[in-house]
Amino acid sequence: MRISVSPDLEGVRDAVAGIEGWCIGQGLADDVVFHLQLSMDELLTNIVSYGFEEGAADQTITVDMRLDESEVELLLRDNGRPFNPLEDAATPDVDLSVEDRPIGGLGIFLTKQFIRTLAYRRAEGFNCLTLKQPRSAAEPGEQDG
Amino acid sequence: MVSIEVSYSGDSAVGAVKGRVDSINAKDFEGELAGVIDTGVTNLVLDCDELVYIGSAGLRALLIAIRRTNQAGGGVHMCRVPDNILEVLKVSGFIRLTKVFDTVEEATASFG
Repeated sequence: MRISVSPDLEGVRDAVAGIEGWCIGQGLADDVVFHLQLSMDELLTNIVSYGFEEGAADQTITVDMRLDESEVELLLRDNGRPFNPLEDAATPDVDLSVEDRPIGGLGIFLTKQFIRTLAYRRAEGFNCLTLKQPRSAAEPGEQDG
Repeated sequence: MVSIEVSYSGDSAVGAVKGRVDSINAKDFEGELAGVIDTGVTNLVLDCDELVYIGSAGLRALLIAIRRTNQAGGGVHMCRVPDNILEVLKVSGFIRLTKVFDTVEEATASFG
Protein backbone atom coordinates (compact mmCIF):
# COMPACT_ATOMS: atom_id res chain seq x y z
CA MET A 1 0.00 0.00 0.00
CA ARG A 2 1.25 3.51 -0.85
CA ILE A 3 0.42 6.78 0.86
CA SER A 4 1.21 10.12 -0.78
CA VAL A 5 2.05 12.74 1.81
CA SER A 6 1.08 16.37 1.35
CA PRO A 7 4.28 18.36 2.11
CA ASP A 8 3.03 20.19 5.21
CA LEU A 9 2.37 19.34 8.87
CA GLU A 10 -1.31 18.61 8.21
CA GLY A 11 -0.15 16.13 5.58
CA VAL A 12 2.14 14.52 8.14
CA ARG A 13 -0.71 14.17 10.62
CA ASP A 14 -2.94 12.57 7.97
CA ALA A 15 -0.18 10.23 6.82
CA VAL A 16 0.68 9.13 10.36
CA ALA A 17 -3.01 8.41 11.00
CA GLY A 18 -3.12 6.41 7.76
CA ILE A 19 0.00 4.42 8.68
CA GLU A 20 -1.39 3.75 12.15
CA GLY A 21 -4.69 2.57 10.65
CA TRP A 22 -2.93 0.28 8.20
CA CYS A 23 -0.73 -1.20 10.96
CA ILE A 24 -3.72 -1.83 13.22
CA GLY A 25 -5.62 -3.34 10.30
CA GLN A 26 -2.72 -5.75 9.72
CA GLY A 27 -3.00 -6.90 13.34
CA LEU A 28 0.40 -5.61 14.43
CA ALA A 29 1.16 -5.49 18.16
CA ASP A 30 0.48 -2.20 19.96
CA ASP A 31 4.13 -1.41 20.60
CA VAL A 32 5.08 -2.11 16.98
CA VAL A 33 2.33 0.27 15.85
CA PHE A 34 3.46 2.91 18.33
CA HIS A 35 7.13 2.71 17.32
CA LEU A 36 6.34 2.97 13.61
CA GLN A 37 3.89 5.80 14.20
CA LEU A 38 6.35 7.81 16.28
CA SER A 39 9.22 7.22 13.85
CA MET A 40 7.18 8.24 10.82
CA ASP A 41 5.89 11.33 12.65
CA GLU A 42 9.47 12.39 13.40
CA LEU A 43 10.91 11.59 9.96
CA LEU A 44 8.05 13.15 8.00
CA THR A 45 8.02 16.25 10.23
CA ASN A 46 11.72 16.72 9.50
CA ILE A 47 11.17 16.36 5.76
CA VAL A 48 8.30 18.85 5.52
CA SER A 49 10.02 21.30 7.91
CA TYR A 50 13.57 21.24 6.50
CA GLY A 51 13.72 18.92 3.51
CA PHE A 52 12.68 21.20 0.68
CA GLU A 53 13.89 24.52 -0.65
CA GLU A 54 11.32 27.25 0.01
CA GLY A 55 8.68 27.10 -2.71
CA ALA A 56 10.28 24.16 -4.50
CA ALA A 57 8.05 22.76 -7.23
CA ASP A 58 7.09 19.08 -7.25
CA GLN A 59 7.57 18.23 -3.58
CA THR A 60 6.91 14.51 -3.54
CA ILE A 61 6.78 12.35 -0.43
CA THR A 62 5.50 8.78 -0.42
CA VAL A 63 5.34 5.93 2.07
CA ASP A 64 5.09 2.32 0.88
CA MET A 65 4.07 -0.25 3.45
CA ARG A 66 4.23 -4.00 3.25
CA LEU A 67 4.20 -6.97 5.50
CA ASP A 68 5.54 -10.51 5.27
CA GLU A 69 5.55 -13.40 7.72
CA SER A 70 8.19 -11.92 9.97
CA GLU A 71 8.60 -8.22 9.25
CA VAL A 72 6.81 -5.01 8.49
CA GLU A 73 8.64 -2.76 6.04
CA LEU A 74 8.06 0.92 5.37
CA LEU A 75 9.82 2.73 2.54
CA LEU A 76 9.86 6.51 2.89
CA ARG A 77 10.80 8.45 -0.25
CA ASP A 78 11.13 12.19 -0.81
CA ASN A 79 12.70 14.32 -3.52
CA GLY A 80 13.95 16.99 -1.12
CA ARG A 81 17.57 17.89 -0.61
CA PRO A 82 19.87 14.94 0.08
CA PHE A 83 19.68 14.05 3.76
CA ASN A 84 20.73 10.82 5.40
CA PRO A 85 19.15 10.84 8.87
CA LEU A 86 21.39 7.96 9.93
CA GLU A 87 24.55 10.01 9.43
CA ASP A 88 23.65 13.66 8.99
CA ALA A 89 21.68 14.12 12.24
CA ALA A 90 23.55 14.97 15.43
CA THR A 91 23.15 12.52 18.31
CA PRO A 92 21.78 14.27 21.40
CA ASP A 93 23.26 13.58 24.83
CA VAL A 94 20.26 12.18 26.71
CA ASP A 95 22.17 12.20 30.00
CA LEU A 96 22.33 15.99 30.24
CA SER A 97 20.56 17.85 33.04
CA VAL A 98 17.45 19.96 32.59
CA GLU A 99 19.46 23.18 32.23
CA ASP A 100 21.98 21.75 29.77
CA ARG A 101 19.71 19.87 27.44
CA PRO A 102 19.29 21.51 24.08
CA ILE A 103 15.69 21.99 23.01
CA GLY A 104 15.20 19.52 20.20
CA GLY A 105 17.22 16.98 18.24
CA LEU A 106 15.42 13.99 19.71
CA GLY A 107 13.22 12.84 16.84
CA ILE A 108 15.75 10.92 14.79
CA PHE A 109 17.43 9.63 17.94
CA LEU A 110 14.13 8.07 19.07
CA THR A 111 13.62 6.60 15.60
CA LYS A 112 17.05 4.94 15.73
CA GLN A 113 16.28 3.50 19.16
CA PHE A 114 12.84 2.20 18.23
CA ILE A 115 13.40 0.75 14.74
CA ARG A 116 15.38 -2.47 14.38
CA THR A 117 16.71 -1.92 10.85
CA LEU A 118 17.13 1.40 9.07
CA ALA A 119 18.77 1.77 5.66
CA TYR A 120 19.30 4.90 3.58
CA ARG A 121 20.17 5.46 -0.03
CA ARG A 122 19.88 8.35 -2.46
CA ALA A 123 18.52 7.22 -5.80
CA GLU A 124 17.24 9.12 -8.82
CA GLY A 125 16.86 12.36 -6.91
CA PHE A 126 15.05 10.76 -3.97
CA ASN A 127 16.02 10.13 -0.37
CA CYS A 128 14.97 6.53 0.26
CA LEU A 129 14.78 5.35 3.85
CA THR A 130 13.72 1.80 4.64
CA LEU A 131 12.41 0.92 8.10
CA LYS A 132 12.09 -2.75 9.02
CA GLN A 133 10.56 -3.99 12.22
CA PRO A 134 9.74 -7.49 13.44
CA ARG A 135 5.98 -7.84 13.41
CA SER A 136 5.81 -9.25 16.92
CA ALA A 137 6.59 -7.32 20.07
CA ALA A 138 10.21 -6.51 20.82
CA GLU A 139 11.84 -8.42 23.64
CA PRO A 140 12.21 -6.48 26.89
CA GLY A 141 15.46 -4.63 27.23
CA GLU A 142 16.70 -5.08 23.73
CA GLN A 143 16.21 -1.40 22.97
CA ASP A 144 18.40 -0.37 25.87
CA GLY A 145 21.63 1.48 25.18
CA MET B 1 -6.55 16.77 19.86
CA VAL B 2 -4.80 17.57 23.15
CA SER B 3 -6.35 19.11 26.22
CA ILE B 4 -5.32 19.63 29.82
CA GLU B 5 -7.95 19.74 32.52
CA VAL B 6 -6.41 21.44 35.52
CA SER B 7 -7.35 21.49 39.19
CA TYR B 8 -5.46 24.03 41.27
CA SER B 9 -4.48 23.94 44.92
CA GLY B 10 -2.27 26.84 45.99
CA ASP B 11 1.06 26.60 44.19
CA SER B 12 0.27 23.02 43.15
CA ALA B 13 -1.87 21.77 40.31
CA VAL B 14 -2.90 18.50 38.73
CA GLY B 15 -3.33 18.56 34.97
CA ALA B 16 -5.10 15.65 33.30
CA VAL B 17 -3.67 15.43 29.80
CA LYS B 18 -5.90 13.93 27.14
CA GLY B 19 -5.20 13.10 23.54
CA ARG B 20 -2.18 13.20 21.26
CA VAL B 21 0.70 15.65 21.23
CA ASP B 22 2.15 15.74 17.72
CA SER B 23 4.16 18.26 15.72
CA ILE B 24 1.12 20.40 14.96
CA ASN B 25 -0.34 20.83 18.43
CA ALA B 26 2.85 20.71 20.49
CA LYS B 27 2.72 24.52 20.55
CA ASP B 28 -0.79 24.37 22.00
CA PHE B 29 0.43 21.91 24.62
CA GLU B 30 3.35 24.22 25.43
CA GLY B 31 0.95 27.17 25.69
CA GLU B 32 -1.42 25.28 28.00
CA LEU B 33 1.44 24.28 30.29
CA ALA B 34 2.75 27.86 30.28
CA GLY B 35 -0.73 29.10 31.17
CA VAL B 36 -0.82 26.85 34.23
CA ILE B 37 2.68 27.85 35.34
CA ASP B 38 1.88 31.54 34.76
CA THR B 39 -0.73 31.33 37.52
CA GLY B 40 2.09 30.71 40.02
CA VAL B 41 2.06 26.91 40.02
CA THR B 42 5.47 25.44 40.87
CA ASN B 43 4.48 21.84 41.67
CA LEU B 44 2.76 20.44 38.62
CA VAL B 45 1.44 16.89 38.39
CA LEU B 46 0.59 15.63 34.93
CA ASP B 47 -1.90 12.79 34.97
CA CYS B 48 -1.15 10.96 31.71
CA ASP B 49 -3.80 8.24 31.92
CA GLU B 50 -5.47 9.52 28.74
CA LEU B 51 -2.35 10.69 26.94
CA VAL B 52 -2.27 8.56 23.80
CA TYR B 53 0.81 9.84 22.00
CA ILE B 54 3.73 12.22 22.46
CA GLY B 55 6.60 12.78 20.03
CA SER B 56 9.76 14.85 20.27
CA ALA B 57 7.86 18.11 19.71
CA GLY B 58 5.75 17.35 22.78
CA LEU B 59 8.86 16.46 24.78
CA ARG B 60 10.24 19.91 23.94
CA ALA B 61 7.14 21.50 25.42
CA LEU B 62 7.51 19.32 28.49
CA LEU B 63 11.17 20.29 28.88
CA ILE B 64 10.25 23.97 28.91
CA ALA B 65 7.68 23.37 31.66
CA ILE B 66 10.20 21.31 33.67
CA ARG B 67 12.77 24.11 33.39
CA ARG B 68 10.36 26.81 34.49
CA THR B 69 9.03 24.89 37.48
CA ASN B 70 12.54 23.80 38.52
CA GLN B 71 13.69 27.40 38.43
CA ALA B 72 10.82 28.27 40.78
CA GLY B 73 11.90 25.52 43.19
CA GLY B 74 9.33 22.94 42.09
CA GLY B 75 9.02 20.55 39.20
CA VAL B 76 6.81 18.48 36.95
CA HIS B 77 5.92 15.02 38.21
CA MET B 78 3.96 12.53 36.14
CA CYS B 79 1.61 9.69 36.97
CA ARG B 80 -0.43 6.95 35.33
CA VAL B 81 1.88 7.03 32.31
CA PRO B 82 0.99 4.46 29.60
CA ASP B 83 3.75 1.92 28.87
CA ASN B 84 4.52 3.21 25.37
CA ILE B 85 4.96 6.74 26.64
CA LEU B 86 6.99 5.58 29.63
CA GLU B 87 9.35 3.95 27.15
CA VAL B 88 9.68 7.27 25.29
CA LEU B 89 10.53 8.98 28.58
CA LYS B 90 13.17 6.35 29.35
CA VAL B 91 14.83 6.26 25.94
CA SER B 92 14.91 10.06 25.66
CA GLY B 93 16.39 10.41 29.16
CA PHE B 94 13.37 12.48 30.26
CA ILE B 95 12.75 9.96 33.01
CA ARG B 96 15.64 11.61 34.88
CA LEU B 97 14.21 15.12 34.46
CA THR B 98 10.86 14.28 36.02
CA LYS B 99 9.48 11.72 38.46
CA VAL B 100 6.91 9.11 37.57
CA PHE B 101 4.35 7.68 39.98
CA ASP B 102 1.54 5.13 39.79
CA THR B 103 -1.20 7.33 41.20
CA VAL B 104 -2.23 10.98 41.30
CA GLU B 105 -2.10 10.85 45.11
CA GLU B 106 1.51 9.63 45.19
CA ALA B 107 2.58 12.21 42.62
CA THR B 108 0.86 15.01 44.52
CA ALA B 109 2.42 13.94 47.82
CA SER B 110 5.88 13.65 46.25
CA PHE B 111 6.68 17.35 46.32
CA GLY B 112 8.68 18.14 49.42
